Amino acid sequence: MAIAAIEAEELTRVYGSLRAVDGVSFTVEPGEIFGFLGPNGAGKTTTVRMLTTILTPTDGTARIFGHDIRRDSYGARLQFGVVPEESNVYLELSAWQNLLFSARLYRIPSHDARLRAERLLQLFGLWGRHQEKVQVFSRGMRRKVAIAMSLIHEPRLLFLDEPTSGLDVQSTRAIHELIRHLNQQGTTVFLTTHRMEEAQSLCTRIAIINRGRLATVDTPTKLRRTLQQLQAVEVQIDGLTKAEEEALQALPTVVRALRRGSALRLYTPEPVETIRELLRYADENGKKIAALETLQPSLEEVFLYLTEGIEGVTVGEQAVPQAAKLGSERGGKR
Amino acid sequence: MKVQQTLARLRRELAIALAIAAKDVQVYYLAPPMIMFGLLLPFFMFFSFSVRRGLAPAESVARLLAITTFFTASSAGPVILPMERRTRTFERMLVAPVALISVLAGEAAVGMVFGAGVSILTLLLATIFLGVRSVSPVALIAAVLLASAAFSALGLLFASWPTSSATPVGSIMMPATLVRWPLMFVSGVFVPLEQMSQPLRAISYLSPLTYAQDLFDHLVMGRGLQPAALNWAALVAFLVIFIAATIWFHRVQRQRGY
Ligand SMILES: Nc1ncnc2c1ncn2[C@@H]1O[C@H](COP(=O)(O)OP(=O)(O)O)[C@@H](O)[C@H]1O
Ligand SMILES: [Mg+2]
Repeated sequence: MAIAAIEAEELTRVYGSLRAVDGVSFTVEPGEIFGFLGPNGAGKTTTVRMLTTILTPTDGTARIFGHDIRRDSYGARLQFGVVPEESNVYLELSAWQNLLFSARLYRIPSHDARLRAERLLQLFGLWGRHQEKVQVFSRGMRRKVAIAMSLIHEPRLLFLDEPTSGLDVQSTRAIHELIRHLNQQGTTVFLTTHRMEEAQSLCTRIAIINRGRLATVDTPTKLRRTLQQLQAVEVQIDGLTKAEEEALQALPTVVRALRRGSALRLYTPEPVETIRELLRYADENGKKIAALETLQPSLEEVFLYLTEGIEGVTVGEQAVPQAAKLGSERGGKR
Repeated sequence: MKVQQTLARLRRELAIALAIAAKDVQVYYLAPPMIMFGLLLPFFMFFSFSVRRGLAPAESVARLLAITTFFTASSAGPVILPMERRTRTFERMLVAPVALISVLAGEAAVGMVFGAGVSILTLLLATIFLGVRSVSPVALIAAVLLASAAFSALGLLFASWPTSSATPVGSIMMPATLVRWPLMFVSGVFVPLEQMSQPLRAISYLSPLTYAQDLFDHLVMGRGLQPAALNWAALVAFLVIFIAATIWFHRVQRQRGY
């Protein structure tokens, strides 16, 4: 078997009393686009910073293509390129100068450096504007320069920390295309994101992290199935009695129900069917539906479901601040 | 074989340090705080504290050299490092296949280039317009370079005090300036050492600037208070101490997280 691109063993980082990353272990095979998915503050950036030798782990270690990040950081650094959350480019320099500086950091001979810089700038659609100061570039263009800088030494592995956060739809699409292209050319990609759709559409495997702990590592297909289990329909019907509430819970497609204020949340793998059942029920019993919406699970709910099962989700909802947070994080009305 | 590997490694480290220094000059020579603290302030200080006493031109030049090497060189670190850390460009160098000391040497070289550049320009102007003749020009240039290197390392030391990455230039520059001002007053730049009270004079020997001032006195005017060799040795010692302390700060920072 080929040597693993990343092998993390019990990586841990403690800040004071906070375990920002808590005993995280996983393996990334060469050729993968590996997604590190988690809400804000989950420990994604901290993990990337440890893997890229910027931050010393409190405990545990990792190997990058066999090079231990603690004992052989020099060897490890030659294997990867890294793009942090903010595009770390020199605004006072041109894209061209930025790339050449990057090449000098890796001691790439000047002739090669120029060829590679030109090829990268062309690939990224920046050739023609490469002599302009990066200052005048848009966010998306700066991100591209930052990625190009990290590729100048042709690393086998690329770390991307939230590569599309803060970018518009077009830039996001362009960056996704680039990531796929690089991957097809043989670059292993490790990317973090807090957006489920991004991980789903790009990655070959997805790890879900929350509060420093890894919940699961799985394929997008399997995760999609999990998400289905956590879909819900939230309905508001005035003057619902306890017995009527129980009747709604007993609808054929409803897995579980939860009261949220004056609304009733019905978890269901088939929201459309559930809505049909609800309408029929209201019709037959002369009830008036005041509001109705379908909900996609938040990342936090998925995490709780994966670590603690469906009961875990309920526990999370009962805590008041938690419930408020979940409510605001709920994304998709579909 | 072993020797060859070591040499190759050294060459590599040196080349990368130079690349970092060249980039810094390219990026920061026009940065407003650089011009403010590195260029305008030293001359302001010179004209407000030194020149009015009606000193001989040679003595003025020796003092001005002390001020420019000291202030200009030590301003680079507190400008560049916080900016590099805030934009996270510093991390590019941290993840490059190069030792931390080479990154720091590259950053320190910038202060040295700025400090020595401004000083040598001053010297040229003084030679042309004031007719000041140094007793040993070559040694004087060497002294300017050494003093600039030591003071640049001091600036880097200020800038490396472990903090969060969001620290703005101002909150590094303020304390750095607060330390540098009193240093100038006890180092014979404004008030000559021989006119100082005993306790103050004892303190002055803790300041690296004292040795630089005395060395410039030797090399411009041909006289100083203590042996020139002692001044040279002290400046080298300070350079080594400042670099060692800077590396230690960065070790702490890496443990805590950049
Ligand atoms: N330098 C630091 N000092 C103290 N706490 C930190 C530091 N960096 C990150 N944290 C904390 O560690 C946790 C994980 O942060 P981070 O890895 O940045 O999360 P993510 O990238 O997933 O949003 C957060 O609670 C954050 O506040
Ligand atoms: Mg992050």
